[in-house]
Amino acid sequence: MKKQSNIFWGVDCGSSEIKVVALDDAGKLIHKCKTRTLFPLADHVRAALKGKASFPGPLKGDEVKAGHFIAITGYGRTHIDFIDERLTEIKSHYLGVHHQLNFEAPYTIIDIGGQDSKIIEVADGSVKRFVMNRKCAAGTGAFIEELAHRLELKLGDLSKLEKKHDKKIALNSYCTVFAATEVIKILMNGEKVENLIHAMYESVAKRVLEMTSITTDTVVLSGGVAEYHPALHGVLRERLGSHQELILAPQAQYCGAIGAALFVKDNLQKEQNS
Amino acid sequence: MRSVFLRLDEVSRTKQAKVAWCTSVGPAEILRSLGFEVFFPENHGALLGASRLCMETIPVANALGYSPDICSYLTSDIGAYLKNITPLTKAYGIKSIPKPDVLVYNTNQCKDVMHWFEYYAKEFGVPVFGIHSPNHLPEVNISHIRHVVEQFKELIVGLEKVAGRKWDEKKLVNVLVLSKKATDLWSEVLACAKAKPSPITFFDACIYMGPIVVLRGTQAAVDFYEQLLEFVRNQSTAALPEEKTRIYWDGMPIWGRLRSLSDLFKTHRSSIVASTYCNSWIFGDFNAEDPLGSMAHAYLKIFINRNDAFKENYIRKLVEDFSADGVIFHESKTCPNNSNSQYNLPNRLRKKGIPTVTINGDLCDLRCFSDEQAATIIEAFLETLS
Repeated sequence: MKKQSNIFWGVDCGSSEIKVVALDDAGKLIHKCKTRTLFPLADHVRAALKGKASFPGPLKGDEVKAGHFIAITGYGRTHIDFIDERLTEIKSHYLGVHHQLNFEAPYTIIDIGGQDSKIIEVADGSVKRFVMNRKCAAGTGAFIEELAHRLELKLGDLSKLEKKHDKKIALNSYCTVFAATEVIKILMNGEKVENLIHAMYESVAKRVLEMTSITTDTVVLSGGVAEYHPALHGVLRERLGSHQELILAPQAQYCGAIGAALFVKDNLQKEQNS
Repeated sequence: MRSVFLRLDEVSRTKQAKVAWCTSVGPAEILRSLGFEVFFPENHGALLGASRLCMETIPVANALGYSPDICSYLTSDIGAYLKNITPLTKAYGIKSIPKPDVLVYNTNQCKDVMHWFEYYAKEFGVPVFGIHSPNHLPEVNISHIRHVVEQFKELIVGLEKVAGRKWDEKKLVNVLVLSKKATDLWSEVLACAKAKPSPITFFDACIYMGPIVVLRGTQAAVDFYEQLLEFVRNQSTAALPEEKTRIYWDGMPIWGRLRSLSDLFKTHRSSIVASTYCNSWIFGDFNAEDPLGSMAHAYLKIFINRNDAFKENYIRKLVEDFSADGVIFHESKTCPNNSNSQYNLPNRLRKKGIPTVTINGDLCDLRCFSDEQAATIIEAFLETLS
């Protein structure tokens, strides 16, 4: 008799977007989608888990259908009940990255999120240590969004404009609000907006890298901010050591959701084997 | 605790006895030996924090010119004084805190207490005395002790004038014997958490510690800790029966979040079995044979007044003694002296094989604390230990 196949759903309920993936029994990505994080949160998570006509979602009302398993990560993880497992973003990003890259040597994950940033050191197949940004928005996607708003630019255009920078200037402030004040002053002095955008990416990179020292030879970027702001790679690359390799994780924005799906999958398999 | 505050309220209103305000690790025994009833403004700060009344009072002190970056016990308390409110009203029906006849501080913990008490000395027009301790000591030596003993002697002369009576060393010996008994019992209560699973956690200890702060030097404190020790030793159930992880907490409690943090650790079946903070009122060096000298020694020797090498060894020993799996450092925005994560101690401990993590917050000021971020950091840390 053919073994009943299962579908493992991972939900990354972040501060800006809800990311959803589905994995099959082999851990292969078979579905992904995302939607903005809006409220009431449970309604929007349900909608994100709806699937599509050819690939229906795991829920029937608030019940999880047989053969479907759901794990949730991200800031919204404690506010949703129709799930099987919960885990933090630190663990889920590690699982998502590790599953896809399968590095044996120690490495470091930098996850720049909408409202927080994390540096996760991995060795011997587990999280050795991690740090998160302090309370303020500097070094997170929120900082980029705030400055894009100030400059009246679309987020998607920032990296293209950054390529045209021809001068390095510095944004010194820790604080997003004070940095916006610096931006206004720099613009008043007639500076090119392209140079300002470069300074903004440099500021994010500085704030992230001063969270802790990164000693591994491999550094992996995960999260939506890294995926949608290629210019950030360049400025991070410049600030890392020459021996260090910087890689963008596959499915960078979905690493957390993939990790969540893997978590519920592994737990089920452990349960079945015990 | 009710009887402590009702007594203070009564003597303040009826003038039956003189009231002294004292810092939490100040020379309370000397004050009691001269007949003063003793009030501890830091305890009031903790009550303002735990009741979250501080969120109404801190901004008042900030507006007066006391920075949001300085001690939030100070700003909570001065703001409460200016607004004429106190959590004692809701708890015990007490209209206001007792007025001081004298204020006594010790800088063994920080210099904010000096600014705090000097403010009230001017407000109430009463004398303020300070013990200026040598700080951040690698070792406590005889010259440090002599320096503080000389200051105790000067303090006694000043206090005799306020009290209107001569100081009697025998009375200090009696008070010190009671202090020593209480502090030894408190130490034994905390040591019960070495058991696996632990019968008490940090959150219990934050409540049980009240009398060792405000009643040390009295029979009431001895009686309380005798009963508590018997209760904890005979407790048939553990604080968390299915204890998965054991944690050492460094830094101040986050008073306004005791319940939610306790629930978070409970959810993850993690017991906080030892802490720098609750251990800070163990004064094993009190000795009736040399009352002033041993008091000077004990109050200089406290963790907060030591250098980083001492602190590292101290935490390592307690982690080992209490079988803790890791250390959570609470970096308190307005209490740098009680935040030991700022000079790379977490990394040094990690290199010695002790997992650590740091959360940002504050003892009182919840503007400095993100519930979501702290919960994520704590949960992720517990995930790595499980």
